[in-house]
Amino acid sequence: MLAFALRRTGIALVLVWLVATLVFLVIHLIPGDPAELLLSQGGVAPDPAAVAELRERLGLDLPLIQQYFTYWVGLLHGNFGTSLQDDHPVAAEIALRLPRTLELIGGAAVLALAIGMPFGTAAALRVGGRLDRVASVIAGVALSVPVFVVGTLAILIFAQKLGWVSAGGYVPLAQNPGRHLALLLMPAGTIAVGLAAVVFRVTRSSVLEVLGRDHVRAAQARGVGPRLIILRHVLRNALSPVLTVVALHLGALLGGTVLVEYVFNWPGLSGYLVRSVEARDYPEVLGIVLAISILFVFLNLVVDLAYAALDPRVRHA
Amino acid sequence: MSASLASPRFHRLVLPGALLALVLLTVAAAPLLPLADPVKQQVSERLSTPSLGHLLGQDEYGRDVFSRIIWGGRVSLSVSILAAACAGLIGTLLGLVGGYFRGVVELMSVRLAEVVLCFPPMLLALLVVTLLGPGAVTLVLVLTILFTPGYARVAYAETLSARTLDYVTAQTALGATSARVLFRTVLPNIAPPLLVQFSLTVAAAMMLESGLSFLGLGVVPPSPSWGLMIRSARSVMEQAPLLLLWPCLALAGTVLLLNVVCDRLRDVMDPRGAAMGVIPGFLRRARSAALPQATTEPAPSLVRIDNLTLSLKTPAGPLNVVRGVSFGVAPGETVALVGESGSGKTLTALAVMGLLPPVVTPAGGSIRFSRRDGTVADLLHLPEGQMRRLRGNDLSIIFQDPSASLNPVHRCGKQVAEAIRAHGGGMTGEGSARAAKAKVVALFRRVGLPDPERRAGAFPHELSGGQKQRVMIAAAVANTPRLLIADEPTTALDVTVQAQILDLLADLKGESGSGRGQEGKDTEGKDTTGMGLLFVTHNLAVVRQIADKVVVMYAGEVVEEGPVAEVFARPRHPYTAALLASAPESEAEELTAIPGTVPSPAALPPGCRFAPRCGFATPACDSTPPASIEVAPGRIARCIRWMEVA
Amino acid sequence: MTAHIIPPLNPPLPFPDRAPLLRAEGLTRGFKGRGGLLGRGHEVLALRGVDFALARGEAVGVVGESGCGKSTLARVLLHLTPASAGRVLFDGQDLARLPRRQLRALRRRMQLVFQDPFASLDPRRSIGDQIADGILIHHLAAPAEAQARVADLLAQVGLDPAHAGRLPHEFSGGQRQRIAIARALSTDPDVLVADEPVSALDVSVQAQVVNLLKDLRTRLGLGLIFISHDLHVVRHLCDRVVVMYLGRVVEEAPAAALFAQPRHPYTQALLAATPSMHAAPGARAVLSGEMPSPANPPSGCAFRTRCARAQPACAEALPELLPAGPGRRLACPPALADLAHGAAHA
Repeated sequence: MLAFALRRTGIALVLVWLVATLVFLVIHLIPGDPAELLLSQGGVAPDPAAVAELRERLGLDLPLIQQYFTYWVGLLHGNFGTSLQDDHPVAAEIALRLPRTLELIGGAAVLALAIGMPFGTAAALRVGGRLDRVASVIAGVALSVPVFVVGTLAILIFAQKLGWVSAGGYVPLAQNPGRHLALLLMPAGTIAVGLAAVVFRVTRSSVLEVLGRDHVRAAQARGVGPRLIILRHVLRNALSPVLTVVALHLGALLGGTVLVEYVFNWPGLSGYLVRSVEARDYPEVLGIVLAISILFVFLNLVVDLAYAALDPRVRHA
Repeated sequence: MSASLASPRFHRLVLPGALLALVLLTVAAAPLLPLADPVKQQVSERLSTPSLGHLLGQDEYGRDVFSRIIWGGRVSLSVSILAAACAGLIGTLLGLVGGYFRGVVELMSVRLAEVVLCFPPMLLALLVVTLLGPGAVTLVLVLTILFTPGYARVAYAETLSARTLDYVTAQTALGATSARVLFRTVLPNIAPPLLVQFSLTVAAAMMLESGLSFLGLGVVPPSPSWGLMIRSARSVMEQAPLLLLWPCLALAGTVLLLNVVCDRLRDVMDPRGAAMGVIPGFLRRARSAALPQATTEPAPSLVRIDNLTLSLKTPAGPLNVVRGVSFGVAPGETVALVGESGSGKTLTALAVMGLLPPVVTPAGGSIRFSRRDGTVADLLHLPEGQMRRLRGNDLSIIFQDPSASLNPVHRCGKQVAEAIRAHGGGMTGEGSARAAKAKVVALFRRVGLPDPERRAGAFPHELSGGQKQRVMIAAAVANTPRLLIADEPTTALDVTVQAQILDLLADLKGESGSGRGQEGKDTEGKDTTGMGLLFVTHNLAVVRQIADKVVVMYAGEVVEEGPVAEVFARPRHPYTAALLASAPESEAEELTAIPGTVPSPAALPPGCRFAPRCGFATPACDSTPPASIEVAPGRIARCIRWMEVA
Repeated sequence: MTAHIIPPLNPPLPFPDRAPLLRAEGLTRGFKGRGGLLGRGHEVLALRGVDFALARGEAVGVVGESGCGKSTLARVLLHLTPASAGRVLFDGQDLARLPRRQLRALRRRMQLVFQDPFASLDPRRSIGDQIADGILIHHLAAPAEAQARVADLLAQVGLDPAHAGRLPHEFSGGQRQRIAIARALSTDPDVLVADEPVSALDVSVQAQVVNLLKDLRTRLGLGLIFISHDLHVVRHLCDRVVVMYLGRVVEEAPAAALFAQPRHPYTQALLAATPSMHAAPGARAVLSGEMPSPANPPSGCAFRTRCARAQPACAEALPELLPAGPGRRLACPPALADLAHGAAHA
């Protein structure tokens, strides 16, 4: 297990290096002068003096190797660059906003698992039954509605028409815990809709598949009762694929936060990103993309390790 | 393609497919349709409700919403389909080449593409938009980059599994060039999942495209796009909620259609993925305990199967795959049930255990079993709860594949302990776990597992095939069953290990009969307490080694039954005789092969099932199925010419 | 990588009078194992220095239990899997050194029949097309005449030529195996390698396919390498038998001699363990344990861990395959010593 964990961590570190390098290279990979590109607006050629100034500010006039070295020294010191607009350090803003995004993702994941897994299991155990058919249709629809549509419609219905909740916003937990959680519910729930549908589907098919396996029949042949068979021999084995698929959807989940934070005015990392993209604040975008990508790599690492904990064959492989 | 065009799975594809085609046609024909100009503003008419001239009303600039929906769909769909096609082309090529050639090629193709997957897709899209600015071209580029690795992965995984398939190897062995193998053999066979991936990608691309447009970073206004329409309708959603609804419906509806088509397509292409719609046996509610108790037959000494008929549910109606099977097993006796695949031998054995697969149901007959407490039960009609108390207790079974029969995530000892604890064994509470563990170790020692304490704590994958089968045997004999069923227990094992397992089974059986003193024998000195063994196999030589009595099955029926030595010396059914003669053990220069093939249960010969392959067949054999004839005491044959055989 | 295995060159041919058609020396094949800190364990050797020779028109059986390397040997001999070390000579040409184009041309002369008839045919193409592949690839007939050749091949393996347009799923297992054989014969090969061709078939159909192979062999003068775990079938079909254990040849002898007088303790155990329909049940010597994992083979003789005759010396050196009577070779020093002892007394 230890060797497995070390190996996976090693791979994750390599990926982080790769991601950071790629982010660094992006600006050099596109044809043309990046500074000119960033400053051009609607086909109007930018002022050469401004371009020169931006080049110097971004360090683009230095040799590539030196830029790369400076970049890494900065990263290792926690320096993710400074904003073009106000010289604010990107790292500080990320540190402030990252926990809010994580909270959103965590809440959504918990909700999705809490809804998707029990319904998925129940549907598989009574496959073809009424619950199965109804839940499968709902899941199919839920998967097809883009997350910003869900969010917008939720605001329209629950905030505008019914007036149950406010349309969005954020209150720090320390300031008013109840209000904080109430405001968290809608955005987290919005992300959870699609994710719960995914979890439902995978749980259902995974449980169905395990039910047909020989070892379940063997447990039955030993006289083990249905409750124990389901818990110990079906659900336990069905968990790994669920985990895998949730991991595969982590990327979409992180992307979903971009839209949801925008829709609900949630001041997380992603909203910050959209603002930076709109302002074409290149260092800010790079910093945030880098931060989220690293987060993504490490979330995947956590899933890998959980996977090994679930299946003894993986950790011995 | 495994499913024909007439299959019900294909029918399920028709309706969503037609709807999707309609959507695509409509947006493709947008310039030809009599639509209002989607970008023409009429500020005086802003937010007006639906009218004849404007079917869905007008938006905040007074533009026609209906026209904007259709033109918006045109943009969304063309961007998505174009991107999915580009990604599909590049990704398939990368995956195909990477999966087939492996090595450096793989690194340069698939692995390189996968770097993209290190980024959450939305973020990468935003990064590119920052650099290139928003617009339709940027969108196609971004979506292509994002979805290429997904394609490459699918194509790679499929190619990887396809390249080791025998028919692909056969092409190489024939001397075909790599290009011929790739495009003539591999590509057509991996096309179905790629097609599914295409519709999946179009749907995902639409979601992403509309999301970017919604953020104002995708399609540039005033071009209509569903994402943009939702964005602008949001600002006026208090006054005109309907304005928000239309693009939402259009977007979600189209994605839903794509997803449904994708699901149905998958069902058509890969029928394995489709749910069977049957509930496993142990979850079914207990059967009504309407026992046909009024039987006058004497109680069986151990188990007696009478006239057992099993029926298989098929799309074409029920099919009797086992018909009128009768035989018994006495205490201490080893009965071999032999037959080829499809003969119904395994189903008969599973029927005794009450473990028939969900698609097979008993259609007649009885399986009467005398329990440890002396009462007789018909196992076919016993409620599930009572059946469960017998399984692993009075009745046990060992399956063919020990690797699949053990749950990979639990330790071997724990799984054997389940058998002990499921039946109490007088152990409850605190001490029970420890007592069960001690018993497991004793059992492991008994079945000849080296170092039993360590094996009890081992996971199944840490044991060899033979050791796993020993674990399964330990679980089966944990509660000293009265009847042990072994379903091809050595078929998956090597011959030297097979010999060990056969010896172990003989050993366990011998031990169960002796050592119980005189009370174990009845007045004639016959063994009445020893474990009965029902050994299911296709291997006649194994039968010869271990069985007392043999029951030969062919195409769902018992064709011959009798003591092993007698049947082998003088078979009374042409099938048995032919099987014995066709075995390569004989010294003959040419083997006596049985012509033809085993009939499918859906197309059985009308008379004797073996007649078309039989050297003894007469016209009478083809008309009616022969009855079982007791040709000598304890010997049964289902042949009208039994006297002439052998 | 495998410094301890020194392949003896030029193995003695059992049939010196017949020209060797296929000859392999010191074949070693490793597969990447998993494990270790960086995910790349040491190599697992499926073949550990195998010498092999096949004379023109000869039938050689390769027997052993699963994991002994017999299927890998089949693929390495055909250069479908390249050898990690050692070489394969077909008609004097080293397969590994041939240019691609020439190797492809040479493939016409050596064909393969697989174990699973359900996996060995492309499910999407008609059987006639698949049989025609070999003819078209090697330009053995004009495309117009290929159909006639396909019909002829189908008739040769006992199938109705009118069925050439059908898809594989319309045939039973035995019939598919005949189709696979017809496909192999389409290039008019000199050698047919059959990897467990009957073990996936119904018992009542196996004899048909065995008879077909035997018939084709005599009729076409085909060399046959028959890989099997079924000793009875091998005895029936082959002139010579090679017994493998854990990636090495332990004994090699003419079929009749091997079955009459097995000399290697493993061969003896294998024969004893094979159940017979004729022998009445009785006590037989049962081998203990199982074949060790190829990832972690014992030192010296791989069989010593299960061998009743194992001596301390067996753990030290890898036993060499040495001549042991007419056409026989044996890799067991104690058994060889017995032989020498017996010969000295005679």
